[in-house]
Amino acid sequence: MLNFRKTRGLLFYLSVFSFFVGLPFILAFALGYKFNSRTLKFVKTGLIFVKTHPPGAKIYLNGELFAEKTPTSMQELIPGTYSVSLELTQHYSWKAQVEVEAGKVSRIDKVILFPERPHLRQLNPEKFSSFRLDPEKKVVYYLDQEKNVLYRSDLDADSFEDIATLPEKFTQINGWDVSLDQKKVFIFNQHQISVISFDTQIDYADTTPAVLLDYAQEKINNVFWHSDSYHLIVLTDKHVQVIESRLGAVPINLVKLNKESAAAFYATKEDALYFSDSQKDLDGSFYKNLYKLEISVDPDVFEKLIRQPFGLVKTLQKEERE
Amino acid sequence: MNRSLILKRILEIIPGGLSWCIIVSLILLSFLHPVSSAVIIISFDFYWIIRTLYLTTLLVMAHSRLFRQKNEDWLGRCEGLSLDLGFSDLYQVVIFPVYNEDLDVLRPSLLALSGSHYPKDKIIVVMAFEKRNVHASERALILEEEFSGKFGVYLSTFHPDGLPGESRTKGANATWAAKAVRKFLDTQGIAYEQVVISCFDSDTCVDKEYFGCLSYHFLTSPKRDQASYQPMPVYNNNIWQAPSFARLVEISSSFCQMIESMRLEKFVTFSSHSMSFKTLVQIDYWPTNMISDDSVIYWKSYLYYNGDYRVIPLYVTVSLDVAYSSNIWRTMVVQYKQKRRWAWGVENFPFVVEGFIKNKNISLLNKLRRSFQLLESHVTWAVWAVILVIVGPLPILFGGTFFSQTAIAYNLPKITGLLFKFTLLTSLTWIFLSWTILPPRPKGISWFKYVWLVLEWIFVPFIILIIGSLPAIDAQTRLMLGKYMEFNSTLKGNKVL
Repeated sequence: MLNFRKTRGLLFYLSVFSFFVGLPFILAFALGYKFNSRTLKFVKTGLIFVKTHPPGAKIYLNGELFAEKTPTSMQELIPGTYSVSLELTQHYSWKAQVEVEAGKVSRIDKVILFPERPHLRQLNPEKFSSFRLDPEKKVVYYLDQEKNVLYRSDLDADSFEDIATLPEKFTQINGWDVSLDQKKVFIFNQHQISVISFDTQIDYADTTPAVLLDYAQEKINNVFWHSDSYHLIVLTDKHVQVIESRLGAVPINLVKLNKESAAAFYATKEDALYFSDSQKDLDGSFYKNLYKLEISVDPDVFEKLIRQPFGLVKTLQKEERE
Repeated sequence: MNRSLILKRILEIIPGGLSWCIIVSLILLSFLHPVSSAVIIISFDFYWIIRTLYLTTLLVMAHSRLFRQKNEDWLGRCEGLSLDLGFSDLYQVVIFPVYNEDLDVLRPSLLALSGSHYPKDKIIVVMAFEKRNVHASERALILEEEFSGKFGVYLSTFHPDGLPGESRTKGANATWAAKAVRKFLDTQGIAYEQVVISCFDSDTCVDKEYFGCLSYHFLTSPKRDQASYQPMPVYNNNIWQAPSFARLVEISSSFCQMIESMRLEKFVTFSSHSMSFKTLVQIDYWPTNMISDDSVIYWKSYLYYNGDYRVIPLYVTVSLDVAYSSNIWRTMVVQYKQKRRWAWGVENFPFVVEGFIKNKNISLLNKLRRSFQLLESHVTWAVWAVILVIVGPLPILFGGTFFSQTAIAYNLPKITGLLFKFTLLTSLTWIFLSWTILPPRPKGISWFKYVWLVLEWIFVPFIILIIGSLPAIDAQTRLMLGKYMEFNSTLKGNKVL
């Protein structure tokens, strides 16, 4: 019993001693203090935390190689400016002057070390004029205006295929886009829109002939797919219109525009067209507005909307007076 | 409200008030001054590492003593003694207070007792039933038929309900039974000095050597009446059948008790324990209106003997049931309620301090030391898991931009992470020791269970959250608000209920 008591007593006092001796050093370390054995005083220091992508980079602090590689922290640094250099084989090195403050951590944690030879490879086996990504960023569409062919592939170009032939007579394509259901593509120039189907279930050569929509009186500036992949939202120099992608369809004017070239963006998720247009002020000067035109996919609302000549227009922002 | 009542209420408020102050202050500090909060958390983390290391070492020492004394021939040693009180003159009284436990729980306890190596004619068994339990008479009769011939004396007592000044507590029942024993001893002319009384939970299965060990320590201890004798409780009765969650909690409880046995200056009786019958009579038995009768009996004796009273650890086991139920959620509730009842031991604090104020013979230093130990142990119980698990990450989460740029913000998670790694290391020691106290694997239990017994320790952080601090906070808050708990027997049993 005595031995146990003695041992236990010894352990207890050893624990108390360890706590009271160790705690100041742990707190000093945590707060960024460094014990100077010469002066027997604590000096307040700072630290640099370095993290890179990819990890494992060598660290040079004021030109001297640091023992550890990234990610790591360099502690107990006297406040001041340090030159930090990060080096990784076959990657561009990274250099910076880093300010270290007492009791603070300077974080270098957003460093990307870019490879000297970036992993670059060509995806398209055929020539093309322009390309589009589908909204889910899984499919690439290539348009070759010389051959009038539309190609499609996955992002790694493992399955590159031609999926549609464009009408031969259609020249000077100003813009194009693939519908949300990824079964149709429209192309347009100043006075024509053509919609070509490329449903993959059947040979594209046998698919429905291209739909041609003529705009003899107005100049087309931009075209967007509605989320139903059937209606087209058309911005001309005079109107914002909606038109069905079928032969003989007649456009409906939703909004009359004051400016000939309105800037526009179509948000497919909410079926809303954002566009800018000019308005005349009472004093005769012009100023610009940003509008949101909601074109709901709800059939009832949509029907109601296209019956109204100007749709539902909301003023979002009055930009600048002209 | 008279002065003593005001004092009692103040003392009841102190532990809970202190615990809540610590928790709320640290939470507020994490928002208002995260650097200070981080300093406190790191200090506490370091304290916890040192404490865990210290306590684990004590556990290893206690475990070593338990195993060294396992095969001791205690009866042989008792018979070789020549002291003022002879072994042959000694009587063992064993009281089993029964609340509403079934025969499935009571029978194994009596079987274990009848299998003891101690001379049975010197054992007086009292099955203390509650009269209000409708099955009491029926169960008493069945057990009497089975066991009355196996002991020197076998008594069944029936504690009447609603006696003046009593609550429905185990202590009230045990006291009623002890008074019946006193009458019996008086009629037999047996001196109280010759009698050692053990008050056992109804599921307690004693080791065959328990009474030999107890007798040896009782006979050889100086001032033998001024000591309680505390065996090591292990929860082996149904440990192989119990779910992981409950098993881990009870193994940890056993270990905590073993650790306490090494800290004699703080050691207090817990659960099943033994003491001199003479002392029990002198201090007027167990409290009849307090739930934590097992520890209050120590403090009553301590006050009666003006601080010259101690608890002697007996490195022999008594086995109890793991408290569990039919599914994990109900088991959690059962465990939670059991731990809350244990944590209700905080009611000792006002009792002890009031006793110290009235007692003029205990030194001030001793009074302060014991009061502080009592308060500190309960407050630590209530706050430690909250500080480690909940308050610890707060400065990082809510410290703001300025704090995140400081060195301490960077170092805090590193030091906290080190704490948990270290705790993992000590857990390995606990895992190993837990294996060594397991009873043999029963037939029908797969060997895979051995592997599971190791793997289940990964639940420890989860258990810490559930029953680390919450039951203690609950109990202390109830005491603080004057919402006193009533005794509820823990759902136990060798079978799943």
